[in-house]
Amino acid sequence: MIHRSTTFPIGVALLAAGLMVPVGNPQQIAKPVKAIQLTGLVGVKNDAKGTLSVDNGNLHFMHGKETSDLSVTSIEDVVTGADSRKSVGNTVGLISMAAPYGGGRFLSLFRTKIDTLTVQYRDPDGGLHGAIFTMPVGTADVIKKDLVAQGAHTSAIEEQDVLSTSPNNSSTKEQKQ
Amino acid sequence: MKRILSTVVSLSVSAVLFVVSPLFAEKNQPAKIKAAAIQVRMIQSDEIKLPAEFQISLYENLIRQLEKQDGFEHVYRDGDRNAANVADLVVLHSSVRGFKAGSERARQVTTVAGTTSVAIHCQFTTVDGKSLLEQDVKGKVRFFGGNLRATYDFAKKTARIAQENFSSTGR
Repeated sequence: MIHRSTTFPIGVALLAAGLMVPVGNPQQIAKPVKAIQLTGLVGVKNDAKGTLSVDNGNLHFMHGKETSDLSVTSIEDVVTGADSRKSVGNTVGLISMAAPYGGGRFLSLFRTKIDTLTVQYRDPDGGLHGAIFTMPVGTADVIKKDLVAQGAHTSAIEEQDVLSTSPNNSSTKEQKQ
Repeated sequence: MKRILSTVVSLSVSAVLFVVSPLFAEKNQPAKIKAAAIQVRMIQSDEIKLPAEFQISLYENLIRQLEKQDGFEHVYRDGDRNAANVADLVVLHSSVRGFKAGSERARQVTTVAGTTSVAIHCQFTTVDGKSLLEQDVKGKVRFFGGNLRATYDFAKKTARIAQENFSSTGR
């Protein structure tokens, strides 16, 4: 009788604990992020602007009305990095160089931080390709995590794990320089 | 009168020689190595840690520039299975020997500092690994453009070297 009275509260407690644990979604789909394809995607012009997303085992790059898909299984390596670009656009930046008293050079001091995403992949013939994207800060890691979660390979994953577990390193971005 | 005539004759002879001499020089140039196609291997950066975007940009630009040249009938990528049965195939191996990241901001503000440069040892070999040509090539960006523009400079120089030394006809 005593035995039965103790098992019931324990069972209820375990059930409540189970309900309180948040249910994780392993295949969280990130929102499309604005990106610039610097080079490497077949059939896409260099410096093409578009949106990048990961869905159904593919890396989608939408530019204009066209979409370029890259199968995650063909991806051999994904690496993120950090860079910066001029805050003032190319044409305006170039014209501003003619501004008096070094005004153009002053504008060059203002730069926007960006993320880079480098993807190495193989075509159906086994040929190695590489694509480079730039995107707003903090978004490259999200895309990379999605790609890795869906089966893409990365050479920097072990290095990243070490960095993330180390208490002295808050940044998880690979610095290959 | 005779003096004027002789001056005119000597001037015209020297002018003809000036025009014709490059044609003779072209004939005296060494024959190019016969190569129907080239396979570009991925840039190796074991000794020097190169950012991934630089490595990929070097590789992609190199392929693009080689494709633009008329020297080769086909440019194959690293690992392309179609290259296995090609006769007169040249393989291009590139390894990074030096890299200076530079700074676009410093270039634009000072115009003298912030140069980005990359030094790469290029080796053209046969499929068996026999070396045909070796050369160090530097890619630089001094004034305008982002750091990755150094990879474009390297690719253009390497493609020119390939065009000067290799031809599908061997001439």
